[in-house]
Amino acid sequence: MSPWWIVFKKEIRETLRDRRTLQMMIAVPVLLYPVILIASEQILLFGRRSLEAERQPVAVLGEAPPDLMRLIEARERIRVVTLEGGEERAIDAIRQDSLAAAVVLGPPAAEDQTRQAMILFDAISDRSTRGRRELATAMDQWADTLLAQRLGERGLPASFARPVAVADSSVARPEEVGGYTLGRILPLLLVVITLLGTFYPAIDLAAGEKERGTLETLLTAPVPPASVVAGKFVTVALIGVLAAALNLGSMLMTFQTGVLQFVGSFGLDFQIPLSAVVIIFATLVPLAVLFGAVCLGIAVHSSSFKEAQNALTPVYMLVLLPAMLPMFPGIDFKPSLALVPVAGVSFLFRDLMAGDADFVLGTLVLLSTVTYAAMALVFAAGAFGSEDVLFGASGDDAEVSTESLWTRVRKRSFRHRTPTVRAALTFVVAVAVLFFWMGVTLQVRYRELGVLLSEILLLLIPALVFVRLGGYAARETLSLRLPTGRAVGGALLMALGATPLAWGIGWIQSFFLPIPWEMLEGFEQLLTAETTTRLLWLILLLAVTPAICEEFVFRGVLLGGTRSMKTWQFVLLNGAIFGAFHLSFETVIRFLPTAWLGIVISWTVWRTRSLWAGSLMHLINNGSIVLLGTSPALKEKFSDPNTPLPVWIFPLAGLSLWAGTRVLSKLRPARGAEDLAALWKEG
Amino acid sequence: MIRFQGLTKRYGSLTAVRDLTLEVRPGEVYALLGPNGAGKTTALRCLATLLQPTEGTASVSGADALHNPLEVRRRIAFLAASMGLYERLTARELVEYFGRLHGLDGEHLQARVDELVALFGLGEFRNRVCGRLSTGQRQRVSLARALVHDPEALILDEPTLGLDVLSGQTIYDFISWERSRKKAILFSTHQMEEVELLADRVGVLRRGELVAEGTPEDLLERTGEPNLARAFLSLVSENAPVEAT
Repeated sequence: MSPWWIVFKKEIRETLRDRRTLQMMIAVPVLLYPVILIASEQILLFGRRSLEAERQPVAVLGEAPPDLMRLIEARERIRVVTLEGGEERAIDAIRQDSLAAAVVLGPPAAEDQTRQAMILFDAISDRSTRGRRELATAMDQWADTLLAQRLGERGLPASFARPVAVADSSVARPEEVGGYTLGRILPLLLVVITLLGTFYPAIDLAAGEKERGTLETLLTAPVPPASVVAGKFVTVALIGVLAAALNLGSMLMTFQTGVLQFVGSFGLDFQIPLSAVVIIFATLVPLAVLFGAVCLGIAVHSSSFKEAQNALTPVYMLVLLPAMLPMFPGIDFKPSLALVPVAGVSFLFRDLMAGDADFVLGTLVLLSTVTYAAMALVFAAGAFGSEDVLFGASGDDAEVSTESLWTRVRKRSFRHRTPTVRAALTFVVAVAVLFFWMGVTLQVRYRELGVLLSEILLLLIPALVFVRLGGYAARETLSLRLPTGRAVGGALLMALGATPLAWGIGWIQSFFLPIPWEMLEGFEQLLTAETTTRLLWLILLLAVTPAICEEFVFRGVLLGGTRSMKTWQFVLLNGAIFGAFHLSFETVIRFLPTAWLGIVISWTVWRTRSLWAGSLMHLINNGSIVLLGTSPALKEKFSDPNTPLPVWIFPLAGLSLWAGTRVLSKLRPARGAEDLAALWKEG
Repeated sequence: MIRFQGLTKRYGSLTAVRDLTLEVRPGEVYALLGPNGAGKTTALRCLATLLQPTEGTASVSGADALHNPLEVRRRIAFLAASMGLYERLTARELVEYFGRLHGLDGEHLQARVDELVALFGLGEFRNRVCGRLSTGQRQRVSLARALVHDPEALILDEPTLGLDVLSGQTIYDFISWERSRKKAILFSTHQMEEVELLADRVGVLRRGELVAEGTPEDLLERTGEPNLARAFLSLVSENAPVEAT
């Protein structure tokens, strides 16, 4: 019997005996899910009926003609009450819920003139909104009566005031409307249930085993680690698929059997064709594999169930956003979205439910999800093969400090000369949060000065404080080494190559992601330099300051803390985090070009062991943008977003980048703290 | 035979075990002593193929832990204080599972499991899930699990930690029995009485280095102390000289 199969059989047996997993896998989709939906529907219907049964009190203020009063009193769902005290009294009564709404009539208008009227109501009260609707209908009827009267007096037909009569008729069949409406909500549920299906088994099979000490025992059996991972992973993915399948079945039963009355009452019919059900299920398999591998790969880094739950919570949050995208109006399912993990699947489910799925997009979703799943599997397998991950980076025999974090901070008694990966990442996340909340406030309040202050106060100073309080070796952590002539030359060549290529990436990207014009206009406004002093200020603000402050955070602390990883890993990580740091709601387009620059700069700083080489490159990139933006001649030639860059730039940029890598490859980079310390001694 | 030859294990700038050389012969019980953080668990984990040595080797009957880990695992039983039992498997299922992982199958596996059930008295609770067993029962299941493939060497990391006297006695009996079956046994401990009771030889680790080695009598003689506990304290104190091994 193959070892992975032995592990798998045991894991399945144990998992099926775990109450938590069974609850998530079977109880939630099969019982709780339809129960909640039906209960919600019943509560909704009960609320609606009780509202309909009540006659809402309304008042009429001002001189009301008898025919208007007759129309209002004829409405069954409202009753007219007398109110003394005018408009202010009506507002108080509506706020206190003793009155639903009130119509305030202006003075009677002269012949053929318009009489003003206003309906007072409370927009956050269902009763008041209903009262307003009833009053508005009565007022419309009265207006129609007056109009007909005026037309009649002049011998004109009713059609005189209504030259065009518009009616609309949807060509969508009820089942299509049903699929479209529910297809906005149900994909989110399917995705979340699939994730939850893998969530607990992954934690139990990875962190749970570590916590109970069984992983240690298992790994002393003559089984290759790959078989252990395979057995565990197939279990997690299978549970995820089962949870999703049960959820899908339960959903179909709930909506297609007519249990829910409100679906029919809104004229909706929810029927998913069998072929669509098969495709949804087929897509759920790689999705469950993706979730299973990610959860397992993250959970195995944790030493306890609780720690793994905390570590996986951000994954849950990260999955929610792309899964919710189909709920938002105006977002079309495009090839670029099909490639976004989870979002593509969610959109495909929506279209399948609406009976409007595109074959090419569906294939893209399936292939990309399979690819992401494979990548996640490699990540999980790598984590299981690492003794650092399984038994901690320092082992049980490392001296364990019982002092509090604050005491260690005060004593600066951390063992490491440079930050650990976890410490560096925690710092960057903290800085990002600080920058997001305080930086935006500073920039809104103090404009350009706020930009300068946020860079210094929220990036540079925290980086220096972190290194100082952490007791790290500043020169090694922050790569504070003066660059050699070769390093400067290499960095220059790298910057001259990477900067135009970053613009090229931005230009290619604009075919898929539209450039927000408001952002460009704002940017142009900022980059207006009519005097030399202004130009120098802009260069100081937008080029010199980030080249120092941002470099201390990203190529200083972050690179210093992640150098123990594989080169490609820490370089890609640095680029991705640098790109993400420059993201905002309006500037998604900045991610790829900035990430690319982050990758090139971090590689250069690693090779040169000098933060200043990175600062030089950052300065060249940002400085060139300032010059392009402020110089009309350059701006016309290079920075019109509608025209591509001159083609000759790209081979030159490529050549420069190649030359830069050749020059820098001759330098000896540093790996971990020990290696770096030895290199510092060498000079 | 268990052999460490110049084994060093580093974590970054921290050296957990430094140049460890020792041998445990078949039929011999070797106790590894040392204060917390001395490197005992790291050394045992290197031998059990859970950790990779930075330098040097650890081997069992000639099979190297770094280059031939699967062969080493076939030859050893590793028992940690945590016992490593799956809470939702029954005692019998657990022993069978590890039997299968060690390549046993069919009637041979069932016969071996029956033998261990009888040997360790698991009969009355063999079909109860491990999560519902008492500490003593868990300990017996753990021993059965470790022996399912009849290994030639036993590695025991603080095997009596947290056990009561009766459960501890089960371990002592087990070690004595396995010694009589010519197994090489290496265990780490803080309990001096079990060293006196079981160990043929003792190695003392201090800050990752083997600072003394010999029979319990040798250590008493060398330190001039009246008992092993005092001898141990004397050997691990900061001023104690390091013995050339």
